Amino acid sequence: MALLEVRNLGIRFGGLVALDDVSIDVPEWEIVGLIGPNGAGKTTLFNCVMGLYTPNSGTVTFRGKDIGLLPTHRRVALGLGRTFQNIGLVKGLTVLENMLVAQHPRIGYSALSGMLGGLRSFSEERRLRVNALEVLDFMGIAHLADARLEGLPYGTLKLVEIATVLATDPQVLLLDEPSSGMGPEEAHALGERLLELRKELSLTMLMIEHHVPLVVGVCDYVYVLNFGQILTQGKPRAVQQHPEVIRAYLGGEAEVVEDKLAHEPTPEQEESAADAPA
Amino acid sequence: MATAAATQALEPSAVRFRPSARGWALRLAVLVAIFGGLLLRIATLPGFWNFRIALAAIYAIIGLSLNVVLGYVGQVSLGHHGFVGISAFIAAAYATNGANCTIEGGCSLGAFAAALVIAIAAGALSAGVLGLVALRIKGLYLALITLSFGFMAERTIFEIPSLTRGGAGMPAPRPDGFVSDTAYAFLCIAFLALVLFVDWRLLKTKAGRAVLSIKHSEPVAASYGINVTAYKVLAFALSGAFAGLAGGLFAFHAQNVVSNNFQFQVALLWVLMVLIGGLGNRTGVVIGSVFIALFPSLVELINPLEHFVATTLERPIDYVTLVLGALLALVTLIRFPGGIAEQIWPLTNWLRGNRFALHPEGHQRKAKSPHGIKALLHRLKHRGAS
Repeated sequence: MALLEVRNLGIRFGGLVALDDVSIDVPEWEIVGLIGPNGAGKTTLFNCVMGLYTPNSGTVTFRGKDIGLLPTHRRVALGLGRTFQNIGLVKGLTVLENMLVAQHPRIGYSALSGMLGGLRSFSEERRLRVNALEVLDFMGIAHLADARLEGLPYGTLKLVEIATVLATDPQVLLLDEPSSGMGPEEAHALGERLLELRKELSLTMLMIEHHVPLVVGVCDYVYVLNFGQILTQGKPRAVQQHPEVIRAYLGGEAEVVEDKLAHEPTPEQEESAADAPA
Repeated sequence: MATAAATQALEPSAVRFRPSARGWALRLAVLVAIFGGLLLRIATLPGFWNFRIALAAIYAIIGLSLNVVLGYVGQVSLGHHGFVGISAFIAAAYATNGANCTIEGGCSLGAFAAALVIAIAAGALSAGVLGLVALRIKGLYLALITLSFGFMAERTIFEIPSLTRGGAGMPAPRPDGFVSDTAYAFLCIAFLALVLFVDWRLLKTKAGRAVLSIKHSEPVAASYGINVTAYKVLAFALSGAFAGLAGGLFAFHAQNVVSNNFQFQVALLWVLMVLIGGLGNRTGVVIGSVFIALFPSLVELINPLEHFVATTLERPIDYVTLVLGALLALVTLIRFPGGIAEQIWPLTNWLRGNRFALHPEGHQRKAKSPHGIKALLHRLKHRGAS
């Protein structure tokens, strides 16, 4: 049984069928890729898994438990962590403060005792800071702890976001285009880091990604979504050469395609309607 | 790489400035001088002034209450006179009917404390209900709902004879030991300090961070494991609790609560004073509120102005405050969006243990290019330089 199972998921927005009978398995310890052209429904799938959207049909199961009716924050407490395509960080706060926000579910004192100056809240806040700095150090961005988010480059913000999601202590990481805004070298470094994360923290990942070298280099298994349906699935190398995939991406014939696919520019702002962390 | 370059540029912020022991001592001395001076001055003022100062402290609590909704949640409440008024009437009704307090016989401290607790609960409860509404409705429409709530309270709740005794008002005698204006002013200031403490701890702990992240984005907050529903209602309830405390204190301050005290115009004034003070900044909000509360007294100090308002315009002095509040809010919105808080930032930032600076790091001032005669003089002066 896979750690995270999506079964026959379907969701409509008015007349638009965003997802239709989508089933995905994310086994423990694996990094599963989710690729597909713009508007294929990838981010919508993430939103359904996290409980931000309520699907019209289908189930989402985590560790064998149906989580379809749980609100988002309960799913996070169970161990689902998610990054956003357009960066889900709280602007106006520093990197460190964002790390403190992210540790919310693991805070021992109650909201009321915190407001009334309970002694435990003081000591616990100190502990949260230490934890936050440790995670930032692990991600190699501890020097940015006191930096404000404004003015940080996009690629760095993506790293900060991954750090904050790690701070929620997830078992499954849902990454929405982690390499967008990064150059090829940075994307490569990110891939190395994701593999390291899996090794060190025994994380399982489901990753939306357009950067083909990253998908091939990191993912154990890949699903291809197109028009809300699973087009194909398999090992990254096999999927990469699948004629249907090439047609879906390029809309052309299956010739000289491998090179083209590898050099396709990374679309950064897809599905803006589907994903809006305003 | 762009990332590497930016990282380098941000490196200095890694080493945070910490003042020396002398630096801390100096900051503490300035802080003590400001607060000690203020408290000493209040203690030596004539009683008439302390009546106003108690009201200023109550306004500051109301300002902090509104600040939770306006500054932290990011929604507008135009019905705060409803929360404050309901709490004031309930506190007064409890003191008079429940605890048998009378102006002649006085009121025990226990009865006073119980009345305040009831007022806080009433405020939290009524604002919590509004919080439930706010889960569904935002922005302009929520402002409209709060406005209608305020009017509803004015026209119905504040007209219930058993609660308000019609136009005569519900008496609320001050508690033993705090009957004088000066003593009561210090009591109100002590409660203001308590509210400031709670507000400070709110932002330093998980509830405040949760509310701020919900304001930024609900999906993001939920993905950090934050219960969006619960924290939104909690924020409104906290705002209501502050408003309730202010209402209770107001009742015993006026000693006779009449519905005329809680009309829409004060709710408007309260929103304006928070705006003028600086949204989301407690120091600025307190200063803005105190200024608005004391403004009628300032007008009274200037005899010709008072005379002009009273005889030529034939308006109560409170109307001047409303006009001034609107003007100041306009100036704040157009010219100084950070309000008073932004203007005193150099001082508050230094007191907080940072290096003295006139502007926050990364603040960009518009380069003023000289024009007209100034430009000519400038060019003449720097002729040789270029």
